[in-house]
Amino acid sequence: MSSTGGYDRHITIFSPEGRLYQVEYAFKAIRLAGVTTIGVRGSDSVCVVTQKKVTDKLIVPSTVTSMFRITNTIGCCLTGRRSDMLLIVQRLRHVAQEFEFKYGFVIPVSYLSQRIGDLSQLRTQYAFQRPAALSIVLFGIDEEYGPQLFRCDPAGYQVGYKALCTGQKEQEGTNSLEKKIKQKSDLTTKETIELAISTLQRVLNTDFKPDEIEVSLVTTENPKFKVLQDLEVEEILNEIAENEF
Amino acid sequence: MSGIGTGYDLYPTTFSPDGRIFQVEYAHKAVENSSTAIGLCCKDGVVFGIEKIILSKMLVEGTNRRVFSVGEHIGIATAGLTADGRRIVQNARQEAKNYENFTSDIIPIHVLTERLSIYVQVFTLYNYIRPFGCSLMIGSYDEEKGPSLYCIEPDSVALGFYGCAIGKGKQEAKTEISKLKLSEMTCKDAVKEIAKILIKTVHDETKEKEMELEMSWICKETKGKHKLVPKKLIEEAVEWVKGQENEED
Repeated sequence: MSSTGGYDRHITIFSPEGRLYQVEYAFKAIRLAGVTTIGVRGSDSVCVVTQKKVTDKLIVPSTVTSMFRITNTIGCCLTGRRSDMLLIVQRLRHVAQEFEFKYGFVIPVSYLSQRIGDLSQLRTQYAFQRPAALSIVLFGIDEEYGPQLFRCDPAGYQVGYKALCTGQKEQEGTNSLEKKIKQKSDLTTKETIELAISTLQRVLNTDFKPDEIEVSLVTTENPKFKVLQDLEVEEILNEIAENEF
Repeated sequence: MSGIGTGYDLYPTTFSPDGRIFQVEYAHKAVENSSTAIGLCCKDGVVFGIEKIILSKMLVEGTNRRVFSVGEHIGIATAGLTADGRRIVQNARQEAKNYENFTSDIIPIHVLTERLSIYVQVFTLYNYIRPFGCSLMIGSYDEEKGPSLYCIEPDSVALGFYGCAIGKGKQEAKTEISKLKLSEMTCKDAVKEIAKILIKTVHDETKEKEMELEMSWICKETKGKHKLVPKKLIEEAVEWVKGQENEED
């Protein structure tokens, strides 16, 4: 394979084989964060769970979060380089608010995902910018389409999911979820939460304590985005533990 | 994993094959070359302490500041390239002013921190500007919410801390800090503890020249305003540290 002088690995231009190395390295950077996120869409709810890693006991745990509110009913979970998170959140909020101002109704999750996908794609074309090393998971209850779960990656590729796993243990999580969703894909709220959390526990081979994960749940009854409190998470974890016996 | 990013370390817009951005990591090294700064979030306020190496006897004491006020109620302490720190503080002051003009209320610390974090992050996105080579500790005290301490690193990650250290002696300082009971400590005691850590643990008398202690606080006593710790208190703290040393001998 001929070499072009090596720049294809340094900026986002094509390599002789037609690959974009910098975009591929951006994907590796997501895995470097060492965090896994799982999202599951049920018939009337969406549950997203992510690991919460507080590396130092001097850090205030409430300031370490990967879950962000984009609008009242749309949430976003970011996995990957923490330093890229705030800017992407700001962009998402801006896009969502601009849409609502222009058209008078809440932006559909699918459209928000498309817009952020297009913006991510731009960063893979310009040499002076790098892609954001983040896996962007958008979720919410849409007025027309019901529960929505979308993911956008550094390449600008975005698509809707019934269930997704992203981050360090992406492959294992996806395999595990595929098996379960094949059996049953219209899940109740309870089943959605349990599938999300138990898959994460299985894939990482640990039993979580409430302060080691962040759980966000939106349902058609309660479409407002919120991150569950430690007590609520503890209840769910106990139920899952009992069911497994 | 090798720390040398040859070829992949020229621009902040280049990922290495294992997904690291070396320019940002090198910016961290610039912070590690500077002298230590400590911030403690105590029961009744936030105290900053900075180990300032006296480079020359001709330098006038207190003219090379590394603590800055943003508004009256927020203090920022820097470590790393001081000039970079001053630029970020300038931006912080502008943000505070804009917020006040817009809302007629003083800017809350978590809002300022988020805005500064985004400002720092923008400098890690393009190939024609370099990341900031400094870390900042931002502290504030509010009657209702109590004291808050945040730290922004060169890669723009901003987290809240109970106690934080940045600069050369960060590791040793953090070890000492985690031994302290910060939630029960008053600011006056914190002044002494910080002096102890900086003088005894962090400062190496054999390797480096003399040091000067620069300390500032935002606490109940200063009524929530960021002020320099009175010289008298610092001198008392230094005396206390020397006393401790003599006890141990």
